[in-house]
Amino acid sequence: MKFVVNPYTLVFILASPVFIVTAQTDSTGTQAQDVRTDKIAATAFENRVKEYTDRREAIEAGLPALPKQATAKQIDAHKKALLRKVRASRKRARRGQIFTPEAEALIRKIVIDQYPARDRMELKKELAEAENKSVAVKVNGVYPEAAELLEMPPTLLVALPQLPKQVRYRFVSTSLLIVDRESHLIVDFMTKALP
Amino acid sequence: MKRTHTFLFVLYFALVSLAAQSDVIGQGLDSAALAKAKSPSVTLPMREGSLRLAVFGDAGRGSKEQYDLGRVMADYRQTVLFDWVLLTGDNIYGPDSPADMKNKFELPYKSMLDAGVKFYGSLGNHDTSNQRFYAPFNMNGEEYYRVERSGVSFYALNSNYLDKKQLDWFAAELAKDRNAWRIAFFHHPPYSSGGRHGSDDEVRKILHPLFVKSGIDVVFTGHDHFYERVKPQDGITYFVAGAAGKIRKGDLKDRSPITAAGFDSDLSFMIIEFVGDDMHFQAISKAGNTVDSGAIKRRD
Repeated sequence: MKFVVNPYTLVFILASPVFIVTAQTDSTGTQAQDVRTDKIAATAFENRVKEYTDRREAIEAGLPALPKQATAKQIDAHKKALLRKVRASRKRARRGQIFTPEAEALIRKIVIDQYPARDRMELKKELAEAENKSVAVKVNGVYPEAAELLEMPPTLLVALPQLPKQVRYRFVSTSLLIVDRESHLIVDFMTKALP
Repeated sequence: MKRTHTFLFVLYFALVSLAAQSDVIGQGLDSAALAKAKSPSVTLPMREGSLRLAVFGDAGRGSKEQYDLGRVMADYRQTVLFDWVLLTGDNIYGPDSPADMKNKFELPYKSMLDAGVKFYGSLGNHDTSNQRFYAPFNMNGEEYYRVERSGVSFYALNSNYLDKKQLDWFAAELAKDRNAWRIAFFHHPPYSSGGRHGSDDEVRKILHPLFVKSGIDVVFTGHDHFYERVKPQDGITYFVAGAAGKIRKGDLKDRSPITAAGFDSDLSFMIIEFVGDDMHFQAISKAGNTVDSGAIKRRD
């Protein structure tokens, strides 16, 4: 049996590895660019959070130090004084100063990467059933102590930009908040964090 | 007249029988009074010089039931002489003002606190981070920490917020731990047969492999409002001890394949004792009944 190869087919076969390599290079290049963009957005976000925690630390340093073995009265007084002073220092704080559009886009992307659509639906369902739905989410507002603190999914926490110890991520429905750990001040928030 | 007396006697007898029956199934009419009448029945070996503790969680409501169970614990303490308590979280529900701390913690456990019993806290989803400074919880300003005694390490974790910092700390502590026994306690159960909450898959995904690798022997959790002993998972025994403030009756799933023992019809707490390579345990209801007991061998 004679085997004849069409010249066009031959050219196509010979050229395909070149196309594949070029396409792969383009894809790798885009991925690398995405990683760089994400890194820049994450660093900028972390810096903005740090601006808050630096200011808050300076304020706390001016308060009577809370002993590691404190009474309930000491803890209460410290919490209230910290809240009053930090809140007064950021009267002009507005939503989006930390969760900028770039940061919001990054966080939604991380959420999508971490959770397939079905898992996101599951998480949304859990959040909708939580006992903290009545929390009024506003910048400089207070996350009420009586409201449940929802557990943050650990796999998501590890993937999100890391926060200094003074603040925490919290979910209220599908809004993602940054909340002061001691004063419970809502520092900033983004809506629709679970696309 | 005689007939009236007979009727009253029969009625009284019926009521007393009903009360006793309710007590047995853990729905006591006035369980504090009944429990008081029942002297502690201890299944622990009570070896001289051994380490004994109590464990409970989801307590801090300030309810009558919490106080009733507190009295049963105090009775048992006088016999068992435990001087440490591990708290599996939700120590204070709702506000935690000084008055709340008093009503939801200091008063229900006053006799134990007065006797010098040390409570070790871990944080639940109803606890604020500020509780880490509260002296009676002995957390020394830390949301996660390790305490050790008599060759046993106790790791209190904050399962509300298992971030990288905490996981790195935990791994570093485990690496330098030379104690034979390693116990972890925290709020959200990696394994539970609860209908309301159940197993926390996210916490399990992160912590269970770490526990297996690092030789954690036993894990105490809460969150689900009942008692459950889970069948060993890769050699680790998980307990749910979240029934010290309010019970979620009937929440324990029937025929759950992971349940070794469970009790969801009354409040409960646990007492444990370490004797060599064995950890003996006993779960006790508000009515003073033993609802589970046994011993767990330390993992090699």
